[in-house]
Amino acid sequence: MAELLQYTVTGIAVGMVYALIALGFALVWKSSSVANLALGQLVLVSSWFTYGMLVQANLPFWLGFPITILFALFLGWVIERFALRPLIAQPILSLIAVTLGIAYFLDGLVHFIWPMSVAALPRLFPKEPVSIGPAVVSQEYIWAAVISLILFGLLSLFFKYHKMGIAMRATADDQMAVQACAIPVTSVFSLSWMFACVVAAIGGILLSNIGGITYGLAETGLKSFSVVILGGLESFVGCIVAGPIIGLCENIGAGYLTPIIGPGIKDLIPFIIIIIVMVIKPYGLFGETRIERI
Amino acid sequence: MTKKTSIVTLIICLVLLVTVMPVATGCAAAPKASPGQVLKIGMITPTTGPAAEKGSPMGNANLDAINYLNAELGGVEGYRIEVSWYDSSYDAAKVVTIVKKLMDEGCLIFTTSSSKEMQAAMETANRAEFPGMACFTSPILYRPPKHIYGQTPDYGDNWGAFANYYMKNIWKGPGKPKMALHLLNNPTGYGARDAAKAAADKMGIEIISTDEHTATTTSEIESLTRLKAKKPDVLFISSTPAPTAIIIKNAKELGLYPGITIGCASASFTKALIDLGGASTVEGVYGVSATVSWGDNVPGMAKMTEYCQKLHPKDYGNMDYITAWAQSLVVAEILKTAVKNAGYEVLAKGNVESWRALETKGIQKLKNYDVGGLHGPASYTPGDNRLSKSLRIFQIKNGALTPISGWIEAPVIKYEEFGWFGK
Amino acid sequence: MDLPCGTRNYDYARDMAVLRTKTHWILFIAFLALLFVAPLYFSKYWLGVVNLIGITIIAATGLNILIGYCGQLSIGHAGFMAIGAYTAAILTNKLGFPFLASLICSGFSAGLIGLVFGIPSVRIKGFYLAITTIAAQFIIIWVINHWTPVTGGFNGISVPYASIGTITFKDDASQFYLIMAITVICILFAKNLARGRVGRAFVAIRDNDLAAEVMGINLLYYKLLAFFIGCFLAGIAGALFAHWIGFVTAENFTFADSILFVGMVIIGGLGTTLGPILGVTLIRLLQQGIMFISPVLENALPALPAGFSTGLGPMVFGLVIVLFLILEPRGLAHRWMLFKSAYRLWPFSY
Repeated sequence: MAELLQYTVTGIAVGMVYALIALGFALVWKSSSVANLALGQLVLVSSWFTYGMLVQANLPFWLGFPITILFALFLGWVIERFALRPLIAQPILSLIAVTLGIAYFLDGLVHFIWPMSVAALPRLFPKEPVSIGPAVVSQEYIWAAVISLILFGLLSLFFKYHKMGIAMRATADDQMAVQACAIPVTSVFSLSWMFACVVAAIGGILLSNIGGITYGLAETGLKSFSVVILGGLESFVGCIVAGPIIGLCENIGAGYLTPIIGPGIKDLIPFIIIIIVMVIKPYGLFGETRIERI
Repeated sequence: MTKKTSIVTLIICLVLLVTVMPVATGCAAAPKASPGQVLKIGMITPTTGPAAEKGSPMGNANLDAINYLNAELGGVEGYRIEVSWYDSSYDAAKVVTIVKKLMDEGCLIFTTSSSKEMQAAMETANRAEFPGMACFTSPILYRPPKHIYGQTPDYGDNWGAFANYYMKNIWKGPGKPKMALHLLNNPTGYGARDAAKAAADKMGIEIISTDEHTATTTSEIESLTRLKAKKPDVLFISSTPAPTAIIIKNAKELGLYPGITIGCASASFTKALIDLGGASTVEGVYGVSATVSWGDNVPGMAKMTEYCQKLHPKDYGNMDYITAWAQSLVVAEILKTAVKNAGYEVLAKGNVESWRALETKGIQKLKNYDVGGLHGPASYTPGDNRLSKSLRIFQIKNGALTPISGWIEAPVIKYEEFGWFGK
Repeated sequence: MDLPCGTRNYDYARDMAVLRTKTHWILFIAFLALLFVAPLYFSKYWLGVVNLIGITIIAATGLNILIGYCGQLSIGHAGFMAIGAYTAAILTNKLGFPFLASLICSGFSAGLIGLVFGIPSVRIKGFYLAITTIAAQFIIIWVINHWTPVTGGFNGISVPYASIGTITFKDDASQFYLIMAITVICILFAKNLARGRVGRAFVAIRDNDLAAEVMGINLLYYKLLAFFIGCFLAGIAGALFAHWIGFVTAENFTFADSILFVGMVIIGGLGTTLGPILGVTLIRLLQQGIMFISPVLENALPALPAGFSTGLGPMVFGLVIVLFLILEPRGLAHRWMLFKSAYRLWPFSY
């Protein structure tokens, strides 16, 4: 029983990290219907940038962190302005493919500037784990969970009440109508990418505190795809709910299936979930079911 | 119309010309240009791509060592060593084309840094009898032994050496110790599993569980929780630094470590492990290493340090640099032996004849070459394509990798005799 | 527009012919002749590169049918190639099948697995499908790595030389002929497929699947057919790759390769037969070129940052994809068309 509790606690904690990354995806999708496959690379780039600020330039955290956020805003703006904007109104295939191109480019950029490929950030959180009954969870995860909840709250409120947030939702719904209402669609897109990069940067800092900065951060982005698929692409609630579900499936599933099936099953679970969701409920738990007209 | 006809005629003529020309020149394979007084070798490193953190310093070390040999020792037996160096980007298809290129260029031997590269090159090289040598190896490369050689003991030997040391010096209890394996999901990890499968029973070790992780894992709490319930005495991790650091960190959080013995394979046992895991967390962890560490008092250290600090100061302190530097030294020794035994003329041909000569009169005549003390002595024993068979056990003490044993020889395991081993 | 002035067609068959004029025929035969004497000139290395290009063209042609014609984005093509490679390896190494039989079986096994993962495409498209195929890639590779008794697991499996009857394709030149022959057959097959009923149905589905359905095109059938054919070709390519490299492990078929295939098809030009050929050739040559250039540059300009050669390859490739999508979404094939028409009308281009 103690094990089940441990699996549950770990699952939720890990899942919240996935949810955090997934938020960045939903943000872009919600406002511009662009599927961002470069999610993992955005996380990777901003982690390395943080490393550059905190370790290489030796800045204190209170200075390095805002610079990283500024960098993320800039990165988002650049990507939207120079890669996405020329492709407005192109088929969805091009929009997905261009993010693949961006992913490759960012990969190269990281190697270009930081060729060492493994590094550690200075520790931000105390390392004593927190015990919940017989189970333990490390403080990094608790912080990650708290921060993703805060971000989720902020983003939800923003999209619900702020003028720009409403404009973003409207843009996703009908670009033509929005343009007719004199809402600058381009700046909506621009803003959504900037926000997405900030979320990715925060996710990156938290993740690299947990496992160090490695090339593998890019692949964590892949896992959060299963989160957005399960939660529904345009839903923040979906991310926050689906993240822990994926985490739980992974940990409890692996905990009890490994002795039966063999080692390694854990890495397969998110992808099996994707296939199952696709067959049963393709638009996810909280996604909108689109009705198409000719 | 006339213009068109003439163009068409022209094209036909050109094509005919191009088609017939080689026939006209007698179809004879163009003789290789006499390479002057040099010995050509090929080197492949994954300087870019997903394994760049290892490949880049290794490539530097390979070339720095050749620089040193040419500049200070005047090459090998008076012949300069000429290197064709290529970056494989850790891409299997690219490796195959590079190996073909090296054969074209008349290289005598080629080296790779990683076992994945060698796995890709292996069949191409074996089919052509082109000898190759890999730094880090998995047993599949030379079981059964053909034309591929290993510079240092393979991932399976890592396990063997650690298990040996553990049984002799650490295990005090009665009965069989219970060992758990935590493996990276690639040949690095599974090499250890194969060795354990083949030899654990004989050594009196009970393998209670085998777990697997990815190179990108962020939490291994789940697998360690399962592991903890089985009450292991010792955990062996065969992986790279980042996941190993996570496993040890999580083991500490779960209260599993300290309390059990943790051993790491050589691929993860570098300074990066201490950086990523935190010195206090990984304190007391055992590890295996095929080379000495920086600053050790061995004859080959001074020159290596000098060249590293002169040419690639960033790589100072990197363990992979030592391995790759030693690789170049071993290659040079092989060339030296071959020149002595077979003569320069055979080697200068740069074809299958020279490869055979290099293999039978160079590599297979290698006896107790000390590699400047940088790793265990390199010698060839028939039926065993590992040139150096020795490993040392290290322990992390006060945040530094500290050697705690002399060279331990890892016995050869004939994997191909087991039914479950790959074909 | 494609034809020189004064070319008249008097019947449908001639209008539909791939090679329309005498010049076409002559150029085509000249090209084939050049291609097939290439081994006399090329060194082992260049033959290796060309063989790799040929194999990749087969895979990219399959992907082009899926993405370019039918509009179903697949980012798991390397996974399907892996199935073909492993089928070939297991059949020839363990069960002793002849090469040709195992080649066909590889195509079918990859095609059938492709069908399974294509089933969700009936309900979903765009990004959802892309993610499903990514999942397919990871699931396939996982199964290959863990089904040790059959696939050899992480240790991989060796593959004997390809052989037909008494001919064994041992050296690079003979492998070149084998691979090129199969490549040409695959390209012709793809070209004809695209011109026929099936190809037109694919295009209709790509442009608007609902409208296509209304017009009486069976969506389920044709989407699955596209998956089957696309993956069949991937399987053939995988099998050839296995025989060419001689030893397969799952590490040869990574997710990055899948993305690379998508990039090649886009750069070449979606929905054209010529596209994959140009795209594959450009990217494979670019890869080899970067391999030669970066150490030279690094030696010549020591001031470059340490990661210069490391980052150059992926950066150039990413940039090429992005630039092509923005500036020339119809790819190299379209550029080639423009060049041809400009050349035909030269010097009076009006």
